Amino acid sequence: MRLQRSKRPVLRRVCLWWRCVSAAFAVLIALGAGTASLAQPTYFLLGHEAPDFALRAVAGSNVRLSEHRGDVVVLSFWSSRCSPCRTQLAALDKSLSTYRSAGLQMYGINVDDDQTRAIEFAHGGQTVNFALLLDPAKAVSRRYEVDNLPMTLLIDRNGIVRYVLRDYSAKSDDLYLQQLRTLLNE
Amino acid sequence: MSHVVSRPSFLAARKGWGAGLVAAMIGLSLAASPAIAQHAAPAAAAAPANAAPPPAPASTPATPPAGADTAAAPGATATAPAAGADAAATPPAADAPTDAAPDTRGLDTEVQSLKKDVVDLNRDLFVLEEELLFPANTQVAVFLSMDVGDFFALDSVQLKIDQKEVINYLYTPREVEALLRGGVHRLYLGNLKVGKHELVAFFSGKGPNDRDYKRGANLSFEKGIGAKYLELKINDRQRKQQPEFEIKDWE
Repeated sequence: MRLQRSKRPVLRRVCLWWRCVSAAFAVLIALGAGTASLAQPTYFLLGHEAPDFALRAVAGSNVRLSEHRGDVVVLSFWSSRCSPCRTQLAALDKSLSTYRSAGLQMYGINVDDDQTRAIEFAHGGQTVNFALLLDPAKAVSRRYEVDNLPMTLLIDRNGIVRYVLRDYSAKSDDLYLQQLRTLLNE
Repeated sequence: MSHVVSRPSFLAARKGWGAGLVAAMIGLSLAASPAIAQHAAPAAAAAPANAAPPPAPASTPATPPAGADTAAAPGATATAPAAGADAAATPPAADAPTDAAPDTRGLDTEVQSLKKDVVDLNRDLFVLEEELLFPANTQVAVFLSMDVGDFFALDSVQLKIDQKEVINYLYTPREVEALLRGGVHRLYLGNLKVGKHELVAFFSGKGPNDRDYKRGANLSFEKGIGAKYLELKINDRQRKQQPEFEIKDWE
């Protein structure tokens, strides 16, 4: 009987210990998860001035980004091998025809190694009404840290990168139009 | 007895584990929520995760007082008819802007002077930066100018100094237009040691009859103590109906 009684505090201690360990474990997991969420990849240029560049166009004259201050600029990084990119270019073209008069400028920056594919695309059946720029040295793609295709940047009238879209879907298209309207209304 | 005692404590231990797991799941869901919001939620929900706050326009501090002024004036005229007489209504309406006006004017001038200070400071910093990065002893500057341009539409200029490419500049139609109006573009600013050097410039664009045109020009020059200024000049040679490229050394 005495022995049995003596087990009580031991068991209590063990329970308390387990509680403490589990609580500490939970806190650690929660903290880890929180920091992981903070460390999620947010685009480094958001809220910063878009780096200036000058690129050759597939057709037409050279384009310098800084010459379009005062306009909302949409930059879309694309490749001829990426089929969502083509779909997105067509969708962007549609939005350009709607909002061009409100001060919208749009450029597609090709990141293909083989520039002839981009030129074929530009002169092929699916044409767009905005300039397709060539980035053969990939200097601009590196400066903008393009990590996914298609990647679309929305730059406001002050030259600040305001939104970035790293994929293309019906949902992201709606989001893009919403963000575009916000920038055009400013 | 021991069995009876240990049961609740075992349950308590399980509760502890359960609480831990629940907390962990909450933590994980909190971590996942921004990503979900970014992909699924509409723009308003995604804005904090995805978008940066819009930058405040420079004129923002100056605007509200002006708006307050204009808003105050109708307010004053609206309260005046309550007093009754038209004659009585005019003085307060006139008084309100005179009271408010000096304050905003003072604020405006203060803002303007602050802006001027910022511009002056920026200019001084720019000059200081250039002096530090490109000291007069080693400085080399290359300029580009264009005259007429009937036989050549400039597209780009590649510059090599001592067989090393220092710049490859693409010109836009606006920049070419500015050059044709008499503008001079500082193409390159760098540092060079004292001694002999060679500059090679390649001009590409559209030549006569809208043909692709690429020409080069080179100059060997001696860099002494002091800044060196070189000018790339594009002229039209009427007799040959061709463009002419030359490099001029400004002593």
